[in-house]
Amino acid sequence: MLVVASPYINWSALWKICVAALIGGAGVVIVFGILLLGVKIANNAKSGGREWAGYALAGVCGLFCVAVIGAGIYAILNKPASKKPAPKKTAAALVAPSFKSSA
Amino acid sequence: MGSELILILVVVAGFSFDFTNGFHDTANAMATSIATGALKPKVAVIISAVLNFAGAFISISVAATIAKGIVSPKVLVGGDGLELVLAALIGAMTWNLITWYFTIPSSSSHALIGGVVGATIVATASGNVNWHNLVQTVIVPAILSPFIAAGVAALGTYMAYRLIRRLGQKEARTGYRYGQICSASLVSLAHGTNDAQKTMGVISLALIAHGDISAAHFTVPFWVKLGCALSIALGTASGGWRIINTMGNRITNVESPQGFAAESSSAAVILASSYYGYPLSTTQVVSGGVLGAGLGKKVNSVHWNVIGQMVTAWIFTMPGAGILGGLAWGIADIFGANSNVGAIVICCLAAAGAFGLWTLAQRNKITPQDLDRTNVSVVDEAELGGVPPAVAVT
Repeated sequence: MLVVASPYINWSALWKICVAALIGGAGVVIVFGILLLGVKIANNAKSGGREWAGYALAGVCGLFCVAVIGAGIYAILNKPASKKPAPKKTAAALVAPSFKSSA
Repeated sequence: MGSELILILVVVAGFSFDFTNGFHDTANAMATSIATGALKPKVAVIISAVLNFAGAFISISVAATIAKGIVSPKVLVGGDGLELVLAALIGAMTWNLITWYFTIPSSSSHALIGGVVGATIVATASGNVNWHNLVQTVIVPAILSPFIAAGVAALGTYMAYRLIRRLGQKEARTGYRYGQICSASLVSLAHGTNDAQKTMGVISLALIAHGDISAAHFTVPFWVKLGCALSIALGTASGGWRIINTMGNRITNVESPQGFAAESSSAAVILASSYYGYPLSTTQVVSGGVLGAGLGKKVNSVHWNVIGQMVTAWIFTMPGAGILGGLAWGIADIFGANSNVGAIVICCLAAAGAFGLWTLAQRNKITPQDLDRTNVSVVDEAELGGVPPAVAVT
């Protein structure tokens, strides 16, 4: 099955996408949950130290979430289709630079 | 000069396609936020519309990514290019409306690619389609991406519910509702940068084929950018309530942690893939994310019959839009090459079909009020195991 699929799958890009999706998807959900936990710890704290620890935990998690959102916006701005085209492009190059007829 | 009218029809069809793309895909970003009551339906679609509008302007320049490497360039910018693009747009738009009527989330991008391929095959020959690239850049990512999104969302949801046990229901669900708004907004922005630009590319190609803009010094005219951005934003703002209902309520009863997991996973998969040069179908990824979010909580909470309907629609999207695109070309060609009459006839038929589907849809109309869950408190959500099901349309 893998042998058949290999010519059609860019494995190098695939694993990078999977890792990025795990960090940006599942990672953010978990870290956001820990952020909420930090806020709860801070709100229920009976001592000043525990309150600060809760806020610090929430702050670190918040920074991670903001960083992931920043990475997402960076990906939007720097996707291949967003990059400036090389000068003197022809219509053919614009449409299909890598076209090879299968005929 | 005979092609002036066809060019105008291509531009109108392009904007119309973007409009259908907008209301068809509103669900991708906002369905879960509406389903969990994080946002009122109308507020959700307005936020999504604004972000889609902004997204359309974000990228520095537009490459004509649609059909890139799939259809021979000489076909699209050749003598019959305008009519072919028109037939492709009509095929894609009609498919979007058919799936909207049947309340099935399907990919607008795949519909457009299918329309282009179908019209090309009928107009020229299959030799002008690069099947290897079609499989590599469209079909394989379409098969893999929902699985990746589902896996990531399932893991995220499972972990979120473990954390909720320590957090308490109210705090966790309130927090995740806020998180959902943020992740859904990111999906909306990504959608605007991807989908509005595809139509910009198609209209720009038509302008190149017509000789209005130079291929050597290619820039997308501002009016094309503005028109596409406005069309997709207006389409989004009009709210595809039928598909929002399917995505948000019929796949599984979405709770706020699940909604956040589904949207975050989808945004991550879409943006990562886009960054590595694989623009995906937002619809398929988000559907996978919602499915995964259901599986992450409880396997039997997923309505597999709805998943079956959606997967069937995905399989048939490209062939279906291709047949419609080819049919549109065939009808136009009866009146001769580059015939104004042929172009007008297929546009009139498409308009009549759209009106017919819209009229039929009024029989079992879904309104924003049907979907509003903001009155469901986070405590109720926890007790009910999700929000109460919205109207079920079969």
